[in-house]
Amino acid sequence: MIQILTGVDNSAAALTAEQTRLDVISENIANANTTHGVDGKPYQRRVVVFESALQQAISSDGSVQMSPVQVARVQKDDSPPIQVYDPGNPDADSNGMVSTPNININEEMADMISASRSYEANLAVIKNARTMAMETLSIGKH
Amino acid sequence: MIEALFNQPNYLAAKKTLDAVVLRQEAIANNIANLETPGYKRVDLTPTFQAQLEQACASGDPQEINSLKPTLAVDTSAVASSRDGNSVHLQTELTQMDENAVAHTLETQLISGMLERMQMAITGKDA
Repeated sequence: MIQILTGVDNSAAALTAEQTRLDVISENIANANTTHGVDGKPYQRRVVVFESALQQAISSDGSVQMSPVQVARVQKDDSPPIQVYDPGNPDADSNGMVSTPNININEEMADMISASRSYEANLAVIKNARTMAMETLSIGKH
Repeated sequence: MIEALFNQPNYLAAKKTLDAVVLRQEAIANNIANLETPGYKRVDLTPTFQAQLEQACASGDPQEINSLKPTLAVDTSAVASSRDGNSVHLQTELTQMDENAVAHTLETQLISGMLERMQMAITGKDA
């Protein structure tokens, strides 16, 4: 197939990956106060790990292979839960301490902004590719 | 032969530059897509392409210009500023993408202009 919009496949893959990242961040924020998950433990923060599908393989003619980005895995953050003194909470231990999720809202918000900026950057690339394709198609028109 | 019409060095050079610009857009798209991939190194046009094209144009040999092919290479001059080894900087990429878009407009207009003048020469009419 002729590729009219060059490179947009990779940009589209990146949009999907950033979307997943935003989903995971929203899950983290939504569960910032979940002290009792299905396993009885507080919610653990999730982190998205990106990878290039092909690790920049250099082909025989010396040219570089394009590598679409994808989500490698969604990993649990193993840092310990934050202890909060709240004796009235049903999940409190004998000392009145409650294990709350290891989520820092500020960190999540900063991460969210970074994810949406990356999303916007990829959108800008797609728009640019479209403009270029339209220009190319108008060669010879007057 | 009809090919002779399209064998002027200027026209061929404009076409090759357009190829390079389109390939560069692909490289920048890929760099931005991998903005947060650990260990990713940015790619760009092979730096020798410009010099090769200039040399081929100076020789004025259509065959030599035609045989050139723009390729991509890992940009070894880019420095990874983050600890994950990723050497992509969003601002640089976006600026270069804008520059590239202007270059694309220039090349398409050049090619259009050349074709237009050629048609004018053939028909004797203003297009």
